[in-house]
Amino acid sequence: MFERWMNAETENQKVLTFLQLFFLLFTAFGFFYFGVEHWVIDHWLDSFPSRIPFYAAVIGLPLTLAMFFTTHKAVRWPYTIFMAITIGVGLAGALFHLVYNAGDAGVSLFTISGIFEAFTDPFRPVLAALAHVNIGAVGLVVGLTLED
Amino acid sequence: MIPALLGAQDATVRRIEWLRVVMMFLLLMSFAMYPIELFIIGHWLDSFESLIPFILTVPGLFFTIWVFFVDRSSTWVRTGFIATMWASIFVGVLGGYYHWVWNMNDIDGVQWYWSYAMAEFHGFRPVLAAMAYTYMGITGLASIYRAR
Repeated sequence: MFERWMNAETENQKVLTFLQLFFLLFTAFGFFYFGVEHWVIDHWLDSFPSRIPFYAAVIGLPLTLAMFFTTHKAVRWPYTIFMAITIGVGLAGALFHLVYNAGDAGVSLFTISGIFEAFTDPFRPVLAALAHVNIGAVGLVVGLTLED
Repeated sequence: MIPALLGAQDATVRRIEWLRVVMMFLLLMSFAMYPIELFIIGHWLDSFESLIPFILTVPGLFFTIWVFFVDRSSTWVRTGFIATMWASIFVGVLGGYYHWVWNMNDIDGVQWYWSYAMAEFHGFRPVLAAMAYTYMGITGLASIYRAR
């Protein structure tokens, strides 16, 4: 990405590569930041699902960092695919939070009041899990807008 | 942003506008969803400070919707949007700082030695989470950069 930025010739190419580089930095920072944040809030537990955000960070951060130095398809495609997976992780996380909250509260997700109660339980924030959708979407749009 | 994407004349400009549209959409979702999340977790209290994110939502949503759907070139829109984004950056940093300080005040007062400060960094009020507003502000500034 650095090289694309330095080699950009037209004004539009400069703006495009600058924005891509900037948002790539966001993606890298997001993986790092969410990894730290999940550790801070004690998300690392014995269960496999509780560790998924950390696995996302461990794979996503190096891939994103690699993109700064090369956008060769051997890096670009794993990166782009993993960003799509990260969006899925965020959506699945929100769903997991909702289901676990419903289980704790003993309510059914097949009723409006049950969904509302599970959604508003502050213990597992449903919307906060969507932060991974944000980071994945930012990363994905960078991967998909790279010029060949 | 939408009119600019629809009117993009060449491939590079279209890629730039796609980047901007995705980022602005994420910003729009953030300004719409964070107040809901904050309301759910009981951030709306009697104190003025607790209402700041909700107050910021008013210009934040207005200008983001306007720039996204209508017009990003008029001076008043750009000035209002950019000022709101800087306010968002400022609110995020201040929010993080005060969350930290108030966490300390709840225990043994403000003391900046490592183990105590880090313990309260992990305290009742999330320090990093408050900085989501800083992230949003930077996203907005990057999205409108050189976009006329």
